[in-house]
Amino acid sequence: MTVPSGPVPVAARPNHGGAAARRAVRRWSWRLFRLEWRQQLLVLALVVVAVAATTVGATVAVGAQVPADTGFGTAHDMATLSGTPGHVAAEEAALRHRVGRVDMITNEQQRVPGSTDTYDLRAQDPGGPFGSPMLALRSGRFPAHPGEVALTPGLAAELHLHPGDTWHDGTATRRVVGLVVNPQNLVDAFALVVPGSVTTPTSVTVLFDAPLSVVGALTVPVSVVGRGVYANVLNPETIVLALATLGMLLIALVAVGGFTVLAQRRLRSLGLLASLGASRRHVAMVVRANGAAVGVAGAVGGFVLGLAAWLAARPMVENSAHHVIGVWALPWAVVVPAMALAVVATWAASARPARAVARVPVVDALAGRPAPPAPVHRTALPGLVTLVIAFFLFGASGAAAGQGGGMPEMVLGLVVLVAAIVLLAPLCLSVLGAVARRAPVGMRLALRDLARYRSRAGAALAAITLGVLIATIVAVAAAARYGNSLDYVGPNLATNQLVLSPAPVGVPAPDATKGGPGSPLGLPGPPPGPTPAQVRAEDAAMATSAHQLATQFGSGTTALELDGSSATLVHTGPGRTFTGTVYVATPQLLQAFGIAPSTIDPAADVLTSRPGLSGVSGLRLVAGEDSPIAGPGPIGAPPGSDGHPSCSPPSCLAHPVIQEVAALPTGTAAPNVVLTEHAVRILHLHPTAAAWLVQAPQPLTAAQVSAARLAAGAAGLQVETKNDEPTGATIIDGATIFGIVLALGVLAMAVGLLRSETAGDLRTLAATGASTRSRRVIVATTAGALAAVGAVVGTAAGYLAVAGWLRSNRLDGLSALTSVPLANLLVILVGLPVLAAAGGWLVAGRRPSGLARPVTA
Amino acid sequence: MLQLHDVTKLYGSGAAQVRALDGVSLSVDAGSLVAVMGPSGSGKSTLLTIAGSLEEPTSGDVVVGGSPLASMSVDERARLRRRSIGFVFQDFNLLPGLTAAENVALPLELDGTRPRAARQMAIEALEGLGLDTEADRFPDQLSGGERQRVAIARAVVGDRRLLLADEPSGALDSANGEAVMRLVLAACRRGVAAVVVTHDAQLASWADRVVFIRDGRIVDGTVPPPSPEALLQAAPEP
Repeated sequence: MTVPSGPVPVAARPNHGGAAARRAVRRWSWRLFRLEWRQQLLVLALVVVAVAATTVGATVAVGAQVPADTGFGTAHDMATLSGTPGHVAAEEAALRHRVGRVDMITNEQQRVPGSTDTYDLRAQDPGGPFGSPMLALRSGRFPAHPGEVALTPGLAAELHLHPGDTWHDGTATRRVVGLVVNPQNLVDAFALVVPGSVTTPTSVTVLFDAPLSVVGALTVPVSVVGRGVYANVLNPETIVLALATLGMLLIALVAVGGFTVLAQRRLRSLGLLASLGASRRHVAMVVRANGAAVGVAGAVGGFVLGLAAWLAARPMVENSAHHVIGVWALPWAVVVPAMALAVVATWAASARPARAVARVPVVDALAGRPAPPAPVHRTALPGLVTLVIAFFLFGASGAAAGQGGGMPEMVLGLVVLVAAIVLLAPLCLSVLGAVARRAPVGMRLALRDLARYRSRAGAALAAITLGVLIATIVAVAAAARYGNSLDYVGPNLATNQLVLSPAPVGVPAPDATKGGPGSPLGLPGPPPGPTPAQVRAEDAAMATSAHQLATQFGSGTTALELDGSSATLVHTGPGRTFTGTVYVATPQLLQAFGIAPSTIDPAADVLTSRPGLSGVSGLRLVAGEDSPIAGPGPIGAPPGSDGHPSCSPPSCLAHPVIQEVAALPTGTAAPNVVLTEHAVRILHLHPTAAAWLVQAPQPLTAAQVSAARLAAGAAGLQVETKNDEPTGATIIDGATIFGIVLALGVLAMAVGLLRSETAGDLRTLAATGASTRSRRVIVATTAGALAAVGAVVGTAAGYLAVAGWLRSNRLDGLSALTSVPLANLLVILVGLPVLAAAGGWLVAGRRPSGLARPVTA
Repeated sequence: MLQLHDVTKLYGSGAAQVRALDGVSLSVDAGSLVAVMGPSGSGKSTLLTIAGSLEEPTSGDVVVGGSPLASMSVDERARLRRRSIGFVFQDFNLLPGLTAAENVALPLELDGTRPRAARQMAIEALEGLGLDTEADRFPDQLSGGERQRVAIARAVVGDRRLLLADEPSGALDSANGEAVMRLVLAACRRGVAAVVVTHDAQLASWADRVVFIRDGRIVDGTVPPPSPEALLQAAPEP
């Protein structure tokens, strides 16, 4: 055997081995990761899911937004011309003279025969200098001469036309040569013809690029693309990135436990490495490199999964967003930081186990003996100080929320709050040690182990606490918001209801950023208003139409007339203002909801289903066309002694008597606040039909709603159906389930870790005659105790965060906390520990896995 | 090469205190092979770990290659292990996930030798032990004897001058055990100082000197043993 000497002189070698040593350590760590990736599956899966969710979530959120350049093509400026053809031609010539190159799109709005739907007959050059991104062929070709037309797929279907067919549109006959879409607006229904084929345009859109100074000097109205679209920091990218950061923080807390166990599994290998001359830095690097490897693998896997999910969801998202979204139109500014966050989170999570394992004496490590738990003399002071800082940060956020800000303070507050939880969690475990003194032996052992192995159990507890914290914040905040009886939020109607109301008079002016180039901007205003007699006749006709429409939904369907008046409620106190429509409690309305007149207080002015409205002070019932919708402020009368305008009948009724009637509907568009005849008399009101509430015996189908819209449109009515707004209970229940599932997931791993670390104790117990039941007690107690402490601390911290925010919030205040989601909090505080303990009891029936066995060669 | 002067090692405190080593002094010259024998719990392994800088003595001095360990920092001791000391353990010697050649090259790479050069040196070391064909195999693909020979290659690769082996043949059959001792002796013949802890009197007979240790004290240093069997008879009664 030869013993060759190294080619590098000893004195020249770096103290810690330099790059060669780092490479060797990383190589081994990577090999170990490949060998033992199954043991890290939970953390890996969490990272994959988090990155995938961030990728697909951010892509959908950003892609679903209306692009700032919708309707502009590639131009930066858009002018809309109107008037006679001669006037339009003159303006176009002047514009061309001032700005140079232009792209003209001419539209003539037409009605689909036999339908209320409209489309644009559009003359546009597919190869125009600016408008070409607003045209894409789906099949066939673009029209080449005046006798040809290309239709959007929806319009073609509605007209029952296909490429090759001949289309008679009443004035001209054209051959359909292709199907086209506007990629920037997929609901843009139009028939494309060659430029010059539209002779009586409804609107003319001119796209061009010009310096701002030139644009400012133009006499025609000009829109400029993308001004201030992303000025709000609360854009989807920011929100998704904030959520991803929070998620990664959670994953990091879970991962700390995973990497601790992994380091323990490799203790003998690491000891051997140290015996070969590896420094502590090298030993720690093995664990850290593993953490980074998990992060990299998770980030790449998550990105691939997210991309696949995006590709699968893309057609649906495009249909929903009504515009084409590119395959690679990913928000890289979110995706790349999220991937980097995943690596940083797992790397940071491995730092503490790495440091701990590097400090284990080499001989102990070689023997596979973990370092004995060090007594913790940590003071609660840093954690409490951090908690106080978080509280004040939430306060600052709540104060700034009134001015439209507060997001940076809130994010910082959340981060500081998480830090406080991480600092305080191990100390909470020491309480368990004290509780253990009088407990039976199995429970005592479990609780003492929790207190002894705080470094690992503390991380798990922090993760559980964070899950509960998020759930509590969402639940309490939702309860506070949905519990506000003034600014009422929630679903508008039940699934079996719809509201018919008169359609607005005149043609609405579409939003230039939402409509296509066919937006009829600059149209002349509506004609002069009808006479009172005409109004009465129209009301009667609409009432008849409403009742006829109700009969289409089958027997048992009713159309309840909702009478409105000029009166509304006004909140003069601090906080939120009253929102919603105040109808009149007609005898028919009371009867429809089964309210006996005898149950109504004769002195009541208002009936409501909004819980808590009767207890709100500072309310006024104000009548008249000029009723203010805000609180303090002039309403045409001199101020009273309280600084608010004076209030006296018949124009105003201070402190109206409000009676809560649970039988009234709760939807925001339903009559949830109604005036009594008493109030109508005092305020000299003259109620008129404002809407009709149609209630069917069964939930309305999509076909029924579609048919109702068609019929209503023909009768000059508009339809409001149930929206997608969630109820407060939906949000609170969802948050509760999320918190519990997350906590149980963390527990599933944490308890596995504990079992692996205390496997020796379990063997000793078994040797002394302990049965399976003892093992069940130990695991169940461990899981239950961790869940209980996490639930209590998470709930308390969540309340603290919300209270800190509400404390200084101008709109809500601490009184909002009176809406307590009691059942959900009880489920978290009691149900979670019980579930955890039961789960622990069940899984403990199996023999402990070989997790505690070291890796040997 | 290795000197221990009045080394004492205490574990625990109070009533639970254990005196693992009690005033042990020992000197091992370059090129010599010293076998350490004694009953379980006598302090043999502690002697080895202290000599190899894996543990610090409670009192006394340890000098390796002329450098006192007491004056070294943790990192300096790690560097000493990388450059001067090689360890061989009984049943746990190779790192999983690394091939035989990578295992042998590891201390060199940890010390800053470039991977290619380190691998070349590792291959040469393995060739010397007749294991060059096993260079790219992983530990779980090697037999027990092969693993231990790879461990010895790793312990002597580079400029190592002190080889510390704790029961190197404990998990091997007698043929493989003898083969291992032959390799250790061969290293000594090239100037490496070796200390081998063993229960096996037969293997101890290969040593230039046998040290008996009991209750943390060296009770005898026999030079040289007449035969392995006679060694046990020569051991004094406690």
